[in-house]
Amino acid sequence: MKIRTNQFGEIEYTAEHIIYFANGIFGFEQQKKYLFIKIDGELFYWLNSIDSPEIAFPLIGIRVIDDKYHEEKDCEPFGIVTMNQDILKTTVNLKAPVYINQTTRTGFQKILDSEKYPIKYSLFKE
Amino acid sequence: MLILTRKIDEEIKIGPDVTIKILAVSEGQVKLGFSAPSDVEIFRGEIYENIKQVTIEASQSGKHKKAADLSKLKLNKIRKINNE
Repeated sequence: MKIRTNQFGEIEYTAEHIIYFANGIFGFEQQKKYLFIKIDGELFYWLNSIDSPEIAFPLIGIRVIDDKYHEEKDCEPFGIVTMNQDILKTTVNLKAPVYINQTTRTGFQKILDSEKYPIKYSLFKE
Repeated sequence: MLILTRKIDEEIKIGPDVTIKILAVSEGQVKLGFSAPSDVEIFRGEIYENIKQVTIEASQSGKHKKAADLSKLKLNKIRKINNE
């Protein structure tokens, strides 16, 4: 199977590459199937919709910036990144993390209703 | 919309597993207690709208992807990772 993505052009995938989000992503509830894309040596991962290949979320592994972040069983927490022309204005959403279980190939998004976690957390500092 | 009037310490049940209790009422604010199974998401209504907006922005932000040298930038860590 193939999809044409904005970020990486045409990508070939098989059924076992699909990560299934039963409830979708907030604001994108209709898109359930994603490809999790990791480029060697890069900080960001990508969650590219299979149903709507033009939709791609940049992700960062939250443990890189917070080693005590909220955990979910057998899952890795990722934050959705909002990139900016000015790299120093790149933010990550720590309020609504995406949890991915690479074994079951499933994912879900959660809202952590706590003051501690901002929706727009500055990812970089000079 | 179903409209119910409740007093302090009274409850509302939504299905068999979700209970909302009125804990306190004062000056235009209501304090509610929720008990529900762990797979039921409970959050303030306006948070969902904010998250949706930021997520839509993020989904279109890939165009700003650069081959920039991120190694020159410091990650803004929340807590220091041990032994670092």
